Amino acid sequence: MSIQMNKKTLVNEVMLSVEMCPVISEKIILKEALEKMGAFKLGISCIVSSNGKLIGILTDGDIRRKLLKSQKPLSALFIDDALVHSIRSPIVVQPSDLLFDAVTLMDKNQVWDLPVVDNHNKLLGVLHSHRAVAVLLGIVN
Amino acid sequence: MKKKIIEVGYGSVNKVKIGSNMPLAFIGGPCAIESREHAFRMADLIDNICNKLNIPWIYKSCYDKDCRSSPESFHGVGVEDGLGILSDIRDEFGLPVVSDFSDSAWAKATGDVCDMVQIPAYLCRQTSILRSAADTKRPIHLKKGQFMSPWNMKNSIRKLEDFGSEQVLLADRGTFMGYNMLVNDMTCFPIMSQTGYPVCFDATHSIQLPTSMGNISGGQREFIPYLVRAATACGINALFMEVHDNPKKALSDANTVLDIKYLENILSQAKIVHEMRLELKEKFGEDNVHPDE
Repeated sequence: MSIQMNKKTLVNEVMLSVEMCPVISEKIILKEALEKMGAFKLGISCIVSSNGKLIGILTDGDIRRKLLKSQKPLSALFIDDALVHSIRSPIVVQPSDLLFDAVTLMDKNQVWDLPVVDNHNKLLGVLHSHRAVAVLLGIVN
Repeated sequence: MKKKIIEVGYGSVNKVKIGSNMPLAFIGGPCAIESREHAFRMADLIDNICNKLNIPWIYKSCYDKDCRSSPESFHGVGVEDGLGILSDIRDEFGLPVVSDFSDSAWAKATGDVCDMVQIPAYLCRQTSILRSAADTKRPIHLKKGQFMSPWNMKNSIRKLEDFGSEQVLLADRGTFMGYNMLVNDMTCFPIMSQTGYPVCFDATHSIQLPTSMGNISGGQREFIPYLVRAATACGINALFMEVHDNPKKALSDANTVLDIKYLENILSQAKIVHEMRLELKEKFGEDNVHPDE
């Protein structure tokens, strides 16, 4: 059986809008960021400045690695600014990028989610791997 | 986190800047305002010592001691009389003054007179108290509760910032270890500094043995010099000590206030340690041991 892939689909046709993913301000603490990720059932949180520009991301993997390294009490870790534990220059895609290229980028970097930004680094949404792959394979529209 | 510098003093009084790379500031005075005559005498005695040592300072004394263990203990001269005395000390000596308030209804009157308002440690997370302190628009001396971790003080800071205040001095006055006992964890200073706000060490309350005497607190004031040197070396920006010219007769905190005969010696040492620390920072840079390496 051959799979027909939607190779012409663009990222902006598939991405989750900012209302559908965890977006937090730079003053949000780690505990609040984790709660927000849980509420949206996503393993990524995007940290934005007051003008909506992406300044970092926090992922499940970042927290997992941090828990294994950190020697401070959990109560102290929880109240750190989420930004402190974030990746400050994350891999991003643009809305006009091909979905196929974006999924290839996810595979190459072994990540589940990619922030979508415009030319001025303003956050537009998140490309989540489950939906991206499903659309690419034609499982869902 | 950008380090903040706060400035205490409005009108014509001396302005005291507290923060990174600033001279060590001293905040001191008798625990409670006992009388006009005594408050003025203490201001004069401390002012002479601080002028001699060239240490910027803020006069501290309280008009209402609402956290006394015993209802029989001296409670204070009251809001009106107390603030009147503090106002006159400001005018007479040209000094900034600070007093705490235990009831949010007293905040406005306190802020109308005082250059800085102080939040008692027991009330450090009370939202109504924090809001009323921020509403005064004065710098706020916020003491870490004896029951609080230093990192959890960030919650109180976040409340104050939400209420519009960004002039905060965070103080440590010891942490409960079991019952009737306080200990000082010196890591609280770098931890609280991570908020960006300057930090203060309250030496005389740190040696308190809370309510250890049944209905009043005891204290081990012999440890004050040790803790002052340690805290200053840890990078505090201000030092707080309650002083009295006759501790045995002090109407409040008689077992912890420092006899003024020791003040010059201790402040001299604190100043030397502070200046040495600034020199070390200049020579070796900021402390930068990474936590995860």
